[in-house]
Amino acid sequence: MKKLVSLLLITTVLLGSAACGSSKQTTDPTPTAIPTAAPTNAPSSDDSSNPNAEVTPVVTPELIPAVTFPVTVTDQAGRTVTIKSMPEKLVSSYYISTSTLIALGLTDKLVGIEAKANKRPIYVQSIPKMLELPAIGTVKELDLEACVALAPDLVILPLKQKNNAAMLEQLGVTVLFVNPESGDLLEEMIRLLATATGTTSEGSELLAYINAQREYLISTLAGVQRPTVYMAGNSDFLSTAGNAMYQSDLIALAGGKNVADAITDTYWSTVSYEQILAWNPEVILLAADASYSIDDVLNDKMLADCTAVKEKRVYQMPSKAEAWDTPIPGSILGAVWFAGILHSEQISRERSSSLINEFYQTYYAFNYNAD
Amino acid sequence: MHSTTTRIKFFCIGATCILVILSIYSLFVGKYPLSPEALLAGDSLQWRVFLTLRLSRALAGVVGGFALGVTGFVYQTVFRNPLASPDIIGVASGASVGAAAGILLFGSSLAITACSFGGALFAVLLALGLSSIDRSGRKSTIVLAGIAVHALAQTLLMCLKLLADPERELASIEYWIMGSLNGIRGDSLLINLILCLICVILLFFLHRQIILLSAEEGEAKMLGVSVGRLRLFILLAATLSLTCIISLTGLISFVGLLAPHAARLLTKDNRPHTMYLSGILGGILLCGADLFARSAAATELPVSIFTSLLGAPFLLYLLFSKRRSV
Repeated sequence: MKKLVSLLLITTVLLGSAACGSSKQTTDPTPTAIPTAAPTNAPSSDDSSNPNAEVTPVVTPELIPAVTFPVTVTDQAGRTVTIKSMPEKLVSSYYISTSTLIALGLTDKLVGIEAKANKRPIYVQSIPKMLELPAIGTVKELDLEACVALAPDLVILPLKQKNNAAMLEQLGVTVLFVNPESGDLLEEMIRLLATATGTTSEGSELLAYINAQREYLISTLAGVQRPTVYMAGNSDFLSTAGNAMYQSDLIALAGGKNVADAITDTYWSTVSYEQILAWNPEVILLAADASYSIDDVLNDKMLADCTAVKEKRVYQMPSKAEAWDTPIPGSILGAVWFAGILHSEQISRERSSSLINEFYQTYYAFNYNAD
Repeated sequence: MHSTTTRIKFFCIGATCILVILSIYSLFVGKYPLSPEALLAGDSLQWRVFLTLRLSRALAGVVGGFALGVTGFVYQTVFRNPLASPDIIGVASGASVGAAAGILLFGSSLAITACSFGGALFAVLLALGLSSIDRSGRKSTIVLAGIAVHALAQTLLMCLKLLADPERELASIEYWIMGSLNGIRGDSLLINLILCLICVILLFFLHRQIILLSAEEGEAKMLGVSVGRLRLFILLAATLSLTCIISLTGLISFVGLLAPHAARLLTKDNRPHTMYLSGILGGILLCGADLFARSAAATELPVSIFTSLLGAPFLLYLLFSKRRSV
């Protein structure tokens, strides 16, 4: 009898806890608002009646101060690093830092880059010689010997590689760790790399360009109705980006409202079909490197009742040059492109196309619109 | 004797009632706000969510948990090993390799289910085929063949993971291995569940033979049982039912191990009602764990976390209460 009582007790606990979870979910969670600030172009007064009128803060970047070597910087792992002289041989094992170094005009100084470089269209289109550079590892694994063999003056690694710091320092290699996981951290990374490589004027110019586009989007989209957007991840349609992720900032900047704002995870989170139907997004955006297609989503019977699918408003972030939904310098173009999709009356396709081409001509020396 | 039979009946009926209540309750727990009133009013969207998502998931939880419990009982009985699990003959590893290949080569959920099913089946047939080379019919031969297949499958899985893009396929493979009832689709569910139920029913028809296999091989032979052939057939049926479930859900840990132990601790024997109770407890554990997986956080959590979290204390309680009563 005691055993039956224990069985019943466990079931009661199960039911009770699940009920708590259920009620929590069914009370329409109010998404956490993104940080707001008074923009240069203040929204119209009727915004107060529109709860969706969220505005991404305008941050006017300060110029990056010119440097003379030796220079001491604090990297994004919080380490203080002194770079004795202008680095001439650079190694980067992270495509985001590699892309930034290219945008800073440092292509000729790169002597080693991340593995699987041939999967990055921008290298193939812009700088094919990048494909001939030795691979020194991935975001998760670093080939220490290959890295040291290149005798680099400066090595840029993602924060995930921090456990290699002591070993590389013992081997006499100067290392900087980067962690561009948000818009602010991306700007901080650009400042760090520009300072450490003596390209402060190029860095300032790049930041000014990015900021100009942000200001343009914010002022153009001030007061617009923000459609709800579900951002589907690379590995699975049911993985999505919460408000702590870069992709959520991008959606807000493009004039959308991320339906998963209540999720605070810093990595892709798995949700259910039910959750998506409960959110009922007006637009679905697939990550640039999604392993499934727009047609897969449109033909998914489980999503047949979702407004975005019914209205065929399912789009995929372009990946012709780079994945714009990742925190790279070119990611501002992702916001411009998506703003053109969400608010075509405010931002014309010609305008966004011209901005995109201008960016790649200036920083990567290739014509984006060419086939 | 009479009181023992009554007690066992009481456990079986009580546990069945709990499973029924839990499964009905699970129909109304989830992220989409379903309400009986709206369903009765004939709201078409509510009905579609109910039938295609909620009911599929509840069915997968009940049938999947039942099959995991029953097959766990069969494995532990046939091998006379309290730690026997599906991986003893490489089925879970085979399913993982199949799923990883499906994710890498095709990507669609139907293809992943089909590949995982194929991988598990191939692993089992390979293990049983290898064991049949040794004509002595010893149980240890199947276990050794299973270990070899498991090792081979793990190597293949590592190679596939190495080929996978860390941001895309690798994340999917890892998540599949953690197991979840999320994303179960009605189109692939029905065939798998029917096949699984056929195998489970077959196992119940063979319950006497399963018990005989737990006896010493010499004794079983004296009773006129063709030990080798029968064992192969029973393992194939058990594995097939298991494959039908894990190809849909990914690997679900602990249910197949815990449910038969808990059932034996309650009934104190190894008879057919213990096999039934194993299935019911497996269903309760998986359904309960899935309720937590879908509602404990804003996101979906892997169900295996909760099958272990809920199951381990229950098993420990049964073990200690048994010791105290001895």
